[in-house]
Amino acid sequence: MAMQTTLTANPLREGISTRQAPEPCLLVIFGATGDLTHRKLVPALYNLAHEGQLPQSFAIVGFARRPKTHDQFRAELRDSVAEFSRFQPVNPAVWDSLAQAIFYHQSEFGDAQGYKSLDGFLKKLDAERGTAGNRLFYLATAPTEFIGIIEQLGANGLVQSGPGARQRIVVEKPFGRSLPTAEELNQALAGVFDEQRIFRIDHYLGKETVQNILALRFANEIFEPIWNQKYVDHVQITVAESLGVEGRGGYYDQSGAIRDMVQNHMMQLLSLVAAEPPTALEAEVIRDEKVKVLRAIRPITPDQVQQFTVRGQYASGSMAGKPVPGYQEEKNVAPGSRTETFVALKLFVDNWRWAGVPFYLRHGKRLPKGVAEIAIQFKAPPAVLFAAESPEPLQPNVLVLRIQPDEGVAIRMNAKVPGNVINLQPVKMDFRYGGSFGARSPEAYERLLHDAIIGDSTLFTRRDEVERSWKIIDAIIAGWDASPAPFPYESGTWGPPEADEFIERDGREWRRP
Amino acid sequence: MPASDQLETFTAGVETAVDVAQIERQLHELWQLAAESEKDPSRRQITRACLFNFIVLSETDAEAAHASEVISTLTSHHPCRAIVLSAASSTSASELSASISAHCHLAGTGQKQVCCEQIAIHASGPSVAHLGSAVLPLLESDLPTIVWWQGNFLTRIDLFRRLVAVADRMIYDTSAWPNPQSQLAGLARALTEQPRCSFTDLSWTRLGLWRQLAAECFDEPHCCSELSQIRAVDIVHGCGPGAGVRALLYGCWFAAQLRWPLPEARARIHLSELDDGDATAVGIISVAIQTDDATFSIRKNHGESTASATVDMPNACGLPRKRAFWPADDASLLSQELDSPARDPVYGKALVIAAALLEPDQR
Repeated sequence: MAMQTTLTANPLREGISTRQAPEPCLLVIFGATGDLTHRKLVPALYNLAHEGQLPQSFAIVGFARRPKTHDQFRAELRDSVAEFSRFQPVNPAVWDSLAQAIFYHQSEFGDAQGYKSLDGFLKKLDAERGTAGNRLFYLATAPTEFIGIIEQLGANGLVQSGPGARQRIVVEKPFGRSLPTAEELNQALAGVFDEQRIFRIDHYLGKETVQNILALRFANEIFEPIWNQKYVDHVQITVAESLGVEGRGGYYDQSGAIRDMVQNHMMQLLSLVAAEPPTALEAEVIRDEKVKVLRAIRPITPDQVQQFTVRGQYASGSMAGKPVPGYQEEKNVAPGSRTETFVALKLFVDNWRWAGVPFYLRHGKRLPKGVAEIAIQFKAPPAVLFAAESPEPLQPNVLVLRIQPDEGVAIRMNAKVPGNVINLQPVKMDFRYGGSFGARSPEAYERLLHDAIIGDSTLFTRRDEVERSWKIIDAIIAGWDASPAPFPYESGTWGPPEADEFIERDGREWRRP
Repeated sequence: MPASDQLETFTAGVETAVDVAQIERQLHELWQLAAESEKDPSRRQITRACLFNFIVLSETDAEAAHASEVISTLTSHHPCRAIVLSAASSTSASELSASISAHCHLAGTGQKQVCCEQIAIHASGPSVAHLGSAVLPLLESDLPTIVWWQGNFLTRIDLFRRLVAVADRMIYDTSAWPNPQSQLAGLARALTEQPRCSFTDLSWTRLGLWRQLAAECFDEPHCCSELSQIRAVDIVHGCGPGAGVRALLYGCWFAAQLRWPLPEARARIHLSELDDGDATAVGIISVAIQTDDATFSIRKNHGESTASATVDMPNACGLPRKRAFWPADDASLLSQELDSPARDPVYGKALVIAAALLEPDQR
């Protein structure tokens, strides 16, 4: 992708494999005492520091409501780094160097005075640390705070920090909970930041295997010629979680599976798998191709949801031999909740390449195991040659892109079982990242934070992508609102039986990942 | 020995002697056993992985033992078929023997082992001449072949020619060569004569951080314009093995990248050895890049495995940039190189200038 940037004007840069040294930057994290900051963001920043990928002139300012000193904040973050960084144990030299660049600013999110004093503090840091007025604002708060913070940033001059200075903003998911709310958020952002300065996080795009989709498709000649409706029977995208709502019942009950996972991550996977070859590995070009896919998805109208979707909700059951409660028994879940914890969709991408090829999307909680994969199932070979010898119909070829765990690529093909008779059996060729490259991939947030710091938006979603995706999802949700409650399914199973019937109606079946 | 014991021995890394002609068959049988053992739930699953052929040339038993240790570490991230060739003195009795073993690492959650095979071939006396022919049939097809020559390949030119003909990459360490400066001209010729193969000098790898810090000094546009004003590059190095050749290559890198003609390179590159009894001063200690208006300094921090760059220049951001050195053991250096593109034309350019600077008629 278009992320390896070198400074060609500097001849000493030739052949030096490190990525471009990011320009000076001041990172302001809103929601600095929250889980995301502690579990993901600061460990990722430490990892970047460990690898020498942070700017020379850099500082982090945590913005949150709770009163605490800089040193208290640093101490808490050090504990988080010790627990969540992929580099263990913590390197004291790296941490000390990073810690002296960490600061804390206490304010309510809606308090204008807090932003004015933040502005003064940032300017002081600019002078002391040479951060040159470049700001990266990171919204790691509850989504209800997003618009208020964006407006305060604009109203209090925090995005006019000097001539030539760059201000960018990173927005975490969920990016709205419907098309109107996403548009409202986009409007608020557009009022303060140019689109190219807005980085909407979809952490799936930071995963190596997701980035590998484009490499697999376009760096290998063998796949692209068959990557179309002539050879592909259907595509299955599965994101299964073994966990339940895990204390997030309040949030999840308002969101549900389709908003939490399908609208963002799974639509991104679909668009990467189905996109046409981009003409360049550049952010706008790649995103243009993804948007074309989203535009080509045939809308599911509210009266078609029974035909094209299935939703479910987990009931009690057992996971790994232990009993687990049903969704309705989870904390902060409304009694009689109709929120779906499982969703299966059938989508069509109505373009030349994919005409008539169904894309089945399946996501659920409390499924037997946590797994994310994309399976391209090819059409079955003609049975004429082996029909007499092989009692079972030939298995079609499947190409599986495994995103987690055991990231890799597998191909299923038919082979003759050794012996005097012709007996065919499906076999699997398996490439595993872990086996071939070792477990050394950077965390998704490392990649995304680094890209946001250097201003590369390739792995972030654009406004039109988000809105197009919501348009598809909103129509489904509208249909569900007028439909019966989700089908219950026992925890630890692959979803409600109706989901099996749903795909079996098409003469197909779900893969067992 | 029962089959299960054979597999245990093999995957535990214990060397099993084999006939040279039977190596491939023996390995095939062992991997077959491993595949069958997957059916036994009480046994850990074994996956064989191989991304490239890795030929290691050792001159002594000590080097061969060291190679085995390095391969064990390296294969956790760089699975390969390792072939360790041990070529003893040609005055010994003629002997050609082989053994096989595996390096296994737990993958992911620890339920599976990813294993790589190591083939060791020991030749002595006249058999050394046949080492090349013993290796060729053992190379995995369709995979790159990388040679790590622990000593100086210029002293074994016949074997070098045999191996370089199949190699995609030749890795060596001029810092470990006796009097490496005297070999640079021959090395530069070898690079020119073998354009198909990429050459990687671990001395150059060790310069990675020094080059990176120097490059970063000139990233800012107002600093970049100073590159054309450089009048001196003063490099101070320690007295450890290879320190001199690394300092020379470093200085010549500036000359190559900034396209200094040879006389200017000779006038601007100043190398000096610091021998103050500091045992830690084994490599480059500092470099000062002087222009009319600025001094860019990079210095190894005492007692740390870090180096810092500072800029003394009006209106320049004066904050020091500090970076940590990559570990300099062989396994780490090789791992770093295997993660990088094989071909590095920048090294070739610096080497040519270094060789030219050392030409007697140029002094």
